[in-house]
Amino acid sequence: MAHRPSKIMKHDIDEMHVNITPMMNLMVVLIPLLLSSAEFVRLGIIELNLPPAASGEKAEIEKEIPEEQLKELDLTVTITDQGFFISSSLAVLAGDEADKPSIPMQNGQYDFDKLTENLYELKMKAESKFSDTDEIIIMAESDITYQTIVKTMDASRQTEIDGKEFTLFPNVSFSARIY
Amino acid sequence: MISKIKKRKRSMKRSKEVRLQLTSMMDMFTIILVFLLKTYSTQGQLINPSDDLTLPTSITQQAPQLGLDVTISSDWILVNGKAVEKTANINKFDGYIIPSLRKELNNYAQKAEEMQARYGAEYSGKVTIQGDKNLPYKLLIKVMATCGQSNFPNLRLVVYQKEV
Repeated sequence: MAHRPSKIMKHDIDEMHVNITPMMNLMVVLIPLLLSSAEFVRLGIIELNLPPAASGEKAEIEKEIPEEQLKELDLTVTITDQGFFISSSLAVLAGDEADKPSIPMQNGQYDFDKLTENLYELKMKAESKFSDTDEIIIMAESDITYQTIVKTMDASRQTEIDGKEFTLFPNVSFSARIY
Repeated sequence: MISKIKKRKRSMKRSKEVRLQLTSMMDMFTIILVFLLKTYSTQGQLINPSDDLTLPTSITQQAPQLGLDVTISSDWILVNGKAVEKTANINKFDGYIIPSLRKELNNYAQKAEEMQARYGAEYSGKVTIQGDKNLPYKLLIKVMATCGQSNFPNLRLVVYQKEV
């Protein structure tokens, strides 16, 4: 004969109740409070430090630096409506033809991956040869949008090599020569 | 007949004893609570993004800092929430300096320098720039040039952080 569970035991368990109403009250108060103060979009900033307006002393400081370190890379990325032009004192990265951008647009989109790749190669070549291997000058045509400029800065700031972050050119300056 | 009534009575008594099942709701609330506590930032919001513009997205990891707030919306240029110049007017100026913006920024710089002299509050020349992502470069460069010329050389561009 199969074992029949005790009726008394079953009855006891059925009657057990934890009073969770105060905990519910707590939740109902806490959740709206935290919801109201929650941040759903995370804001960030990009730092750009312009040189101070006065620069009369600069020439004297430069004299003290040894001759070899004075060579400057002057890396410039120009954003046009056809693509990126990259130029530095090493060389101007030419496109397939003269007067064509170094990195042309792909299907109407800017090719940021290619830009990062080219800048990485440049950084490798320029490292320890120039004094300003952290600096990049960004120029743009007058109608290039802010988002494109921010993306260009992102592409030129760092890259990932074998899962490690590699700093390219974090110090951005803007130039307005073209405009 | 009697047994039927008895049965109904018993079943009514039973139904009275049934309680609201809150356990599953408690589970849910606990999970939400943990999630919200995790995302809770003690810092609060230092920068309030304006309503009428969409900031660009970037991979930057730097956290926002406090500073003078310059907003370039599609209609107005605002300094700390106060409208200074119509955005449409900017193209009319020759050169890179926007006179009205420069005047306003110089006022703030002067005040900050006074504060530094009197109370030792540090004047860092920091300015946070909020611009719409579709803003053309020529507008942006003019505002940035004006900030740099008005004793606010440390620019911070406000962007949305891209989720990694």
